[in-house]
Amino acid sequence: MSDHPNGYDLLKTTIELSVSSFPIETKLEKIFQCITNGFQSDRSLLLRPEMILKEGFLSRVIEEKKPLWVDEERPFKEDTILPEERDLVCPAFGCIPLSDENSIQGIIYIGFSKGRTFSSNETELLLLLAKEIGVTIRNDQLHRGADDDERRVRQLSTLWELNKALLTTVNFERIVHMTLTAITIGNGLGFNRAMLFLVDEKGHVVKGTMAVGPNSAEEAGTIWPALSQRSRNLSELVTQIESSTENHSVLNSIVKEIQIPLEDGQCIISKTVLEGRPFNIRFPLGEEEWVQTRCERGCHLSSEVGCYVGEHLSRDPKVYAFATVPLWGKGKVIGVILVDNLFNQDTITDEDIRYLTMFASQAGLAIENTLLYRNLEEIHQELKEAQTFLVHREKMAALGELSTSIAHEIRNPLVSIGGFARRLDRALPADASEKRYTRTIVKEVERVENILSNVLTYTKEEAICLKMLDLREVIEESLSMISEGLRNGGIQLMKSFSDQIPPVKGDYYQLKQAFFNLVSNAYESMRGEGKLSIRIHPYKKNGVSWVGVEVEDTGGGIDPEALHHIFNPFYTTKDNRLGLGLPIIHKIVTSHQGQIEVNNHPGTGATFILTFPAQEVREK
Amino acid sequence: MKRILVVDDEESIRLLYKEELEEEGFVVEVARDGLEALEQLPLFKPDLITLDIKMPGLNGIETLKRIRETERQLPIVMCSAYGEYKQDLTTWASDAYVVKCADLTELKTTIRRLLGLL
Repeated sequence: MSDHPNGYDLLKTTIELSVSSFPIETKLEKIFQCITNGFQSDRSLLLRPEMILKEGFLSRVIEEKKPLWVDEERPFKEDTILPEERDLVCPAFGCIPLSDENSIQGIIYIGFSKGRTFSSNETELLLLLAKEIGVTIRNDQLHRGADDDERRVRQLSTLWELNKALLTTVNFERIVHMTLTAITIGNGLGFNRAMLFLVDEKGHVVKGTMAVGPNSAEEAGTIWPALSQRSRNLSELVTQIESSTENHSVLNSIVKEIQIPLEDGQCIISKTVLEGRPFNIRFPLGEEEWVQTRCERGCHLSSEVGCYVGEHLSRDPKVYAFATVPLWGKGKVIGVILVDNLFNQDTITDEDIRYLTMFASQAGLAIENTLLYRNLEEIHQELKEAQTFLVHREKMAALGELSTSIAHEIRNPLVSIGGFARRLDRALPADASEKRYTRTIVKEVERVENILSNVLTYTKEEAICLKMLDLREVIEESLSMISEGLRNGGIQLMKSFSDQIPPVKGDYYQLKQAFFNLVSNAYESMRGEGKLSIRIHPYKKNGVSWVGVEVEDTGGGIDPEALHHIFNPFYTTKDNRLGLGLPIIHKIVTSHQGQIEVNNHPGTGATFILTFPAQEVREK
Repeated sequence: MKRILVVDDEESIRLLYKEELEEEGFVVEVARDGLEALEQLPLFKPDLITLDIKMPGLNGIETLKRIRETERQLPIVMCSAYGEYKQDLTTWASDAYVVKCADLTELKTTIRRLLGLL
């Protein structure tokens, strides 16, 4: 034994390495190098717990918790050497167990190929070094645990932030968009793209609902950083994205068209729903693996997600990894979230999937709630409409009573006013300027009388007197009722009545009123100039005979916004007219089992098409 | 010269009808209600009666019944602000029904038709 190892230097180096920032493997490697060199041994190393086999001499060292020294003075007495341990037995070696109450870290081994004797200084130094190595290993384990905890805490707080964002709304579109944004956003779950599919109410199909993701890698590079800079808080960020960016991406429109039947098949989406578990489809390594994920359906998804090869191989389907997780509502899978990393090609780890699954379970409940809420809203809306309808009915009934009595009271004075105005008009010389006044009175009284008869027709459930009618006669009669003021203008009247018109069963006065309203509306819309075409023709639909009446004007058509309201009582585009004309027509036509349709050409004109069931004509 | 009896409780209507019908060449007498009409009937001996329905005292429908007890052939035109009685059995005994309107054309045409002047 020429030079003793420099104990001080060795300890110092070991401690320095122990607290260094090297990874644990490097630390241990360097420490053992120093020990090997310092002791001029052949080798020194850490025998990890898994290398210590039961019933071997090493396991006894651990059990006894005492170091084993073998040298010229202390020969090796063990008789149970396992074949694996034979390599360790040499002329001189030392084994120092590293363990505490809870765990075994291993054994420090130092071996010499030549015989020697360990001095007490040397054994003490090795024990000290062993202690230090033990501390190093324990520290590393603690550190690693802390790292794991920290990551978990970070993930949980991200999830919490995202869930907080989900709680800010019950709007379906918003919730879905926020969910997918949270999955794709950099400091959220960080997938490149996310797509949501929902099981339809009847449970037959999975429908593409929304997709979020950039259209290209370049776009991906610009959107997220820009957004991330704008706000600090993740939940704020998610809410902000929803309101600021409209989802018009190509991907979104593709996904929205996808409908996958929910049946046992090869489609990964329906499989996820049916089996209720996530699928992580990794990069296919060979043809074999492709077969597992390939789908022959050829839906739009296949061009977006690599779930399809086969005959379209030449089209170069995108080869990349993707994963699906089921979206759980209360006790059932309500949909699927599909994620991928198309742009950065990051591997999707099992940890990512766990994390996504955790988030999906929250998002699933939120989405299910909004769906329920949406149903509730729809029902609420229906109730509100029903209520409005009832109120309307009552109003109309009250209006009916009131207006009938008022209408009659008004009629008598109107007869006098209008009648005397006519007399005055006739008494005046043809060139008298006062004729303008008398004409105005006559015209206005006529208008009020029309309104009155409209009110009376609408509000009164008139006893219908059904007769066999020839609609041509009814319309001729209605036309003769049109006041001369309207008729004498630049309006061209085109009548096209078929020769053979089967009779229609109906009330003469009501139908006359309906056609009168229709025709005078048409006249008024044209303001003295245009073409009014009236056509009557028989036709058959589904073997049933009908009579069709078409009234076409060139009065500029109906404002598309108003089109939905034209049959509502009191809705009118002519502010000086009570809007009962079309509702009355509608009421009369439907009470005759007829139908009314409008062909509207805004800017040009409108065609009203009335159809009535025709009566059988007995052959003579 | 055909004679017409106008029965209406409103003075302005009576005046209007009288003037308008006289202008058409008729001899016109007026009555304020049903009872007055019944009194006038044997004195004036009209060729046609226009009869309002809603009147105080004896209304048009009652009056119609009473007239028909003796005058089966006399043309009677019901003339009302109400359209409801048009197809009603209560006025079946009349010869025509005209809903009151400022434009008297329909009334005049009806009268001429009933008097065989068309």
